[in-house]
Amino acid sequence: MRVITAFIAIASGVLVLGGYFFPALAGVQTLLLNWAIILAGVAAIVGILNLTSVHMDKIRRGEKGSAYSALLIIGLAVTFFFGMILRPQHDVMQMVALNGIIIPVEAALMGLLTVSLLYAAIRLLRRRTDMMGIIFLLTAALLFLGSATLPFGDIPVIGTLIRPWVSQILALGGARGILIGVALGALTTGLRVLFAVDRPYGGT
Amino acid sequence: MIFQPDLITGVISFIFTLLIFSYLIGDNPLFRIAVYIFVGVSAGYVAAIALWQVIVPRLAYPLVFGSMNEKIFAAIPLLGSLFILLKVSSRMAGVARMTMAFLVGTGAAVIVAGAVMGTLIPQVGATINFFDLNAAVAVGISKGEAFGNGLVVLFGAIFSLVYFHFGASPKADGSMRRFGLIEIAAWVGRIFIGITLGAIFAGVYAAALTALIERIASIINFFSNLFGNF
Repeated sequence: MRVITAFIAIASGVLVLGGYFFPALAGVQTLLLNWAIILAGVAAIVGILNLTSVHMDKIRRGEKGSAYSALLIIGLAVTFFFGMILRPQHDVMQMVALNGIIIPVEAALMGLLTVSLLYAAIRLLRRRTDMMGIIFLLTAALLFLGSATLPFGDIPVIGTLIRPWVSQILALGGARGILIGVALGALTTGLRVLFAVDRPYGGT
Repeated sequence: MIFQPDLITGVISFIFTLLIFSYLIGDNPLFRIAVYIFVGVSAGYVAAIALWQVIVPRLAYPLVFGSMNEKIFAAIPLLGSLFILLKVSSRMAGVARMTMAFLVGTGAAVIVAGAVMGTLIPQVGATINFFDLNAAVAVGISKGEAFGNGLVVLFGAIFSLVYFHFGASPKADGSMRRFGLIEIAAWVGRIFIGITLGAIFAGVYAAALTALIERIASIINFFSNLFGNF
């Protein structure tokens, strides 16, 4: 079984990767990616089934907070039922589920971040007043001040000179280093999987 | 009174916004109710999208209405899907390994290609482009300024990368330290990373503030529309 799973992972990986460089393999690549999309969709359904079973168990055992789990199951069942009958693009689904619940809750949670981030910044200033912490907060404050829209326009020097230079040159250098580092890490991890050094699908 | 569709959306959105903002006075049942319903509705919505936009058109439709070739090609992911569904049972979970191996292999290939063609080559290219002095002059930047900016970005990228090099050799006193030059470069890299994270923090904070203002504006609009209608 271990050899078969490793072979499947390597073969599918090499064929998909080959499709990017050899036009002859483009058809196979499209077919394999289409299969992967289908399987990822089924995996998402399995994940939702697992979420349902976990909360159903909580309700069955009468655990603390099972009333919340019941609300989750009702919300899931009702949305799924109407989503299947009306389809997700239907006006009612868009109006109630998407524009009524999902988007406002996401935006409100994002809005709550304003308080959490401010609190985190104050804690950082109180607990870690080293060079990194000071540079971090100073940059954040400078960029925030520089981009603030004030009645008299931009703050002289900070808004017109320092902020653009810090955000477009200084921060860009660090961001580029971090991005290249992340890409190198992703490349190494991907190659380790393709060479079957890492087998996250089991069969180590 | 006839309820308009926008009014229904406005009422639901208003209630959920208030429930979420109740977190400002601390974790409470109202906030939890909103979050649990949100998770349930999102999961139901995602399940409906996965079925209608992925499984039905790409799997079910070819299996029922497709040509013989399409049916054969759709039979393979159908088998894989059945294997994945067996993952729900702990005793049969091992069967899903083959499908997971396929997904991991395909995903790894996409990640490798994405890292090389989507990040490494464009980022290195963009850093090199900073030294295109003629292009800088064409947009009104002096050669000296363009070259200086290019150097800052180049050294920022290099020193930030060096900061993540944690290879060290043992010293005579038994302590582990990085090579001197690497240590200095990493120290400079730390400053660049601090500035970058500060800039990212400011961006995220601005986005959060925008979301907060949008939600408060939606509450005000809801009340003004409501009283306007009455």
